[in-house]
Amino acid sequence: MAGYYDELLRLCGFEDSEIEEERPRIEKAFERLDISAADMDTAENWVTQHHDVSLRGVRLLLGAWLKELIDVVLAKDDGKKIVYFGFPAILGPGLMISASSKDVMVTAPDMVLSHTMGHIFNKLTPILEAGEANGLPAGHALCSLWQIKIGGTAKGMIPVPDLALASSYYCDMGSKADDLVTALFGVPIAYIDGVMDSHWGEFPDYLPERVRYLGAQINQALKKAEEVLGIEIAPDAWERSQNEARPFRENLVKLVDLMKADPVPISITELELMEALSSSSTGRGIHQGIRAMQTLIPEMEERVKAGIGVSEKGAPRVMLRAGHASDPRVTRLVEETGLAVPLTYILGSWGGVKAEPKGEYHTPGEIIAEYEMSNGYYHGTEAQIKFYERAAELMKLDGFITTYLYNCRPVATISHPQKKYLEERTGLPVLSLEIDGFDSRAYSAESLRTKVETFAHMLKSRKSKNPA
Amino acid sequence: MNALAKLDEHLATRLAEIRTAKQNGRKIVGYAAGGYFPEELALACDAVPVGFARCGDKQVLNRAGAYTCRFFDPFWRSQIGYVTSQEDPYYTLADLIVIPITDNHCRVFANTVGYYTPEIPSFVFGVPHVKDEYALDYYLQGIRRLKAALEEFTGVDITETRLREAIELCNRERRLLREISETRKAPDLKVAGRDFVALNHGSFLADKETMITILESFRDELADSAPLPAGGPRILFTGSTLAQGDTEAMDIIDDMGGVIVMEEFAEGIRPYWGDVSLEGDLMANLAQTYFMDRVCPGWFRPGTERLDFLIRLAKEYRAEAVIWYHLLYRESYKVDSYFFPDRLKKEAGLPMLTIESEYDAMDTGPLKTRIETFIETVRR
Repeated sequence: MAGYYDELLRLCGFEDSEIEEERPRIEKAFERLDISAADMDTAENWVTQHHDVSLRGVRLLLGAWLKELIDVVLAKDDGKKIVYFGFPAILGPGLMISASSKDVMVTAPDMVLSHTMGHIFNKLTPILEAGEANGLPAGHALCSLWQIKIGGTAKGMIPVPDLALASSYYCDMGSKADDLVTALFGVPIAYIDGVMDSHWGEFPDYLPERVRYLGAQINQALKKAEEVLGIEIAPDAWERSQNEARPFRENLVKLVDLMKADPVPISITELELMEALSSSSTGRGIHQGIRAMQTLIPEMEERVKAGIGVSEKGAPRVMLRAGHASDPRVTRLVEETGLAVPLTYILGSWGGVKAEPKGEYHTPGEIIAEYEMSNGYYHGTEAQIKFYERAAELMKLDGFITTYLYNCRPVATISHPQKKYLEERTGLPVLSLEIDGFDSRAYSAESLRTKVETFAHMLKSRKSKNPA
Repeated sequence: MNALAKLDEHLATRLAEIRTAKQNGRKIVGYAAGGYFPEELALACDAVPVGFARCGDKQVLNRAGAYTCRFFDPFWRSQIGYVTSQEDPYYTLADLIVIPITDNHCRVFANTVGYYTPEIPSFVFGVPHVKDEYALDYYLQGIRRLKAALEEFTGVDITETRLREAIELCNRERRLLREISETRKAPDLKVAGRDFVALNHGSFLADKETMITILESFRDELADSAPLPAGGPRILFTGSTLAQGDTEAMDIIDDMGGVIVMEEFAEGIRPYWGDVSLEGDLMANLAQTYFMDRVCPGWFRPGTERLDFLIRLAKEYRAEAVIWYHLLYRESYKVDSYFFPDRLKKEAGLPMLTIESEYDAMDTGPLKTRIETFIETVRR
């Protein structure tokens, strides 16, 4: 029996047999998400206009997100215990919990909703509005990703979790919003606390007590997970989780390598789907993501071989902090001005710029904490800015578009110093843009185009005068 | 009150005193006034501690726009404005700036000092956001590093004796503030909220011995003074920051007949609830009092301890209403302010008004309307 959604799912890489097998779950999940036949035209147009569905790898990638969405929505129905972690996340603890029990689903549901209800269905607004009506009102520069999580829970689209892992090492808003979740829905929280107290000039060094503190917090959170979920974190959970995630990371390295080509073979809009999946899912999404990569990489290799790309050969190359997480138009617009975007921060941190932990620690928590310190993202502002500096050489960049999220304080700390630092240290031009990375209701294409187009003209002129 | 006049007199000459001290070779240690810098460490190495708690000036706030984006708490952006503009003399005198990093609003101030004004030495250390044995240890290690840095910077060893004397001095100040504050539990009020805030704010700049003398005078004068005229509803005034120069909300509450009986704020109000023990390891005792025993600010996770404390304060100080005043973009307080009123209503039977500010003259009209309406409603 055909469903109103079959065509959309095929567009998103589902095989007919998969649709048939999963049909009852799809229908149940879509009903809960308030998705109906009336949404299909919009979704199909949205996907075909803004995603490169000529590539099967991209279709599979969209499908991976949809499968993760279905799993999240139905997790309670499936008898799973549920753990939500805050984004951006130190993934290690979530991966270890996931590797320790098949009966636990560990995920970042806000990211899943933004990449599906936004990227595929263009139907995020009611969820954001529900978040605003439940403790995170508009007009206060509160995190829109959290509005999505609270809104999705309040609307009954995603289940109330059994445990929240709070990202207290990075984000004040996230941890406090987890408190709100407790107040509204009674969810227990494991706070993973850390303090970003590096002094300017400290990176790449870090104090051992920082590693020990964050490590102890991670170990405590794992203990709490055992108590709350009634599971045992397996002694080899760390190794197994690393083995599970390894193919994804190895493929990301290959992808980054392919993005060094001129012209760049694929839009960063699609790679954002990939990089975000790696930091949002610990379950089916990841496995399906690996499958998508295995298809996408040969497709990209073909393009590179044939000299096909999404920008003109010789186009100025810029790095973005991140692609838009719910609205593909925003990232596309940057590329439409004639710029090539070979790298984002997250893509680079997974698959490009290498972290070099000293390997002096032994508990799982400390090993994870040390990796994060050496990686830099949770080290501090200076470390994040230096990451861009290293990426410039890696990807032969001509400039940076350093988008910062005005409603994400830990990201917004870099707003001004990064421009000054990067221009002085690399000699490359920097366009600093204030955006909301998850909510595009206030997005103005004309406003963004005016800024980016002008920057693109300047970069093209500069590149024509100083060819590499 | 003569004591308040003495405080005014002292503060009028304090700047010149500090300049003289600096000329005579004493180091001036400026610090972010969030309550996590143990002043004892500066006093014990003969430095002069100066709390950075000033704000309320929109022009200074706007200057921060050259260094950070708008969407940070205006108190912390003001600190950026004062340090980078060097317009406030207290900020220009600092030889070293100490910043205990609390949340990301504070961190943006630390980043700015570190990157944009490297000519001013700074020392940062982190304050964890949860309370457990690891967090206490992390804070303790932070202040141990600070002690070593201050010793090196001033060339003075912080000996056990010197530290003990400094703790005794600061304990006396805390005890006096507590004693004066607690008189407000009585039905007949003798201390106006603005006077207590003036004393507390003054303590960030005043010479410690002089401040103690002033506080003693104030306490002694209270014994003979008549209660203040009975006014409108008793208000527990709480929120993120009540800094020097930010008097607007308090003025409006006063003008509308509200009576502030207690102030609880993360920044700008010196914590005075606990003393530092003089038994055993003094550094560990400092960590215990400044970190573990201090009722946590709103940016802690969870903020339950503070919310419990507010309910206790409301009952002990016979508050009839709570006015929750936080600065714009301080998300921790915004989130807590959403679900706390229900708890407050259930457990203390009190109403709460939430107000916000960005130190903008445009705030005045709406603030006045909302506070007046609230107080009128409580009265009825």
